[in-house]
Amino acid sequence: MITEIIINAFLVSFMLVIALFIVNTRKVIFTILLAGTYSLVAALMFVSLDAVDVAFTEASVGAGISTILFLAALSFLPKEEVQESFNKNNIFALSICLLIGGLLIWASYDLPMVGNENNPVHQHLVSDFIEGSKNHIGIPNVVTAILASYRGYDTFGETIVIYTAGLAVFILLYNRTLKETNKSVKNEISKK
Amino acid sequence: MINEIFGVWNYWIVFTLMMIGLYIVISKKSLLKKVVGLAIFQTSVFLLYITFGKIAGGTAPIITNNSEEIYSNPLPHVLILTAIVVGVATTALGLALIVRINKAYGSINEDEISAVDLVDYHEKFSEKKNK
Repeated sequence: MITEIIINAFLVSFMLVIALFIVNTRKVIFTILLAGTYSLVAALMFVSLDAVDVAFTEASVGAGISTILFLAALSFLPKEEVQESFNKNNIFALSICLLIGGLLIWASYDLPMVGNENNPVHQHLVSDFIEGSKNHIGIPNVVTAILASYRGYDTFGETIVIYTAGLAVFILLYNRTLKETNKSVKNEISKK
Repeated sequence: MINEIFGVWNYWIVFTLMMIGLYIVISKKSLLKKVVGLAIFQTSVFLLYITFGKIAGGTAPIITNNSEEIYSNPLPHVLILTAIVVGVATTALGLALIVRINKAYGSINEDEISAVDLVDYHEKFSEKKNK
């Protein structure tokens, strides 16, 4: 119990350190790799918080596919950021973040303690889901039972969102390549 | 005592992570860095939800033969599972937009992009005046 809490605290503090490093990196490749590490530590964190399904999704999708997408995009983009000095805008952003963060931390005293069995979140629905997944659906993994059966429409909507995003990415990048080929064809014709 | 400190420690760090993400999104000029900031913000919100679902001494919500077993709350896990996948879709869309912007403007720095826009606007304006 105590070891669990200490491991949690260590991992989440490690995430904080990585995030602080991300703020100041200027080489984009470092930013991307640190973001990947951040996702991976988050996945470890999910394992220690008993969310195994979320953990392997985060490790494969958040740390894997995201990083690959970032690296693929980086091949078209400048590899280094422009040097920025600490100016008025940064002070404005910092004060807003400190204000909101302070309010949130103040509000955290009203949140229920982590891991308490009597928290309001655990009082409704969940026992029904666990019983139902055992007796009605027959899948031992409760998360899968909820995802595919009780909340099946949510998952269906999710596929529509992903389809739309994929379509938008395709349209954005397809236009670009088409124009390029058109230009190069025109250039060749004019040369002849 | 140690329970009381660590009971809110997760929340504090998660809120700090959110604010770091927000700070990157507001203050950094590079569009790619902004997308990374959004990803940090997103993952910290995931952590907050999963933290709510934790029960001390519980196990992962996979049903065992032991009827006395305590399971952690599976409902936040399902929500976050959906959110992670949608998050990657939005990241991909953002990156595609950035690549397209870089193609059109030759830069992904906010200041340089607005400078290019300003020059274009003035050129158009002076053309109209000359006519």
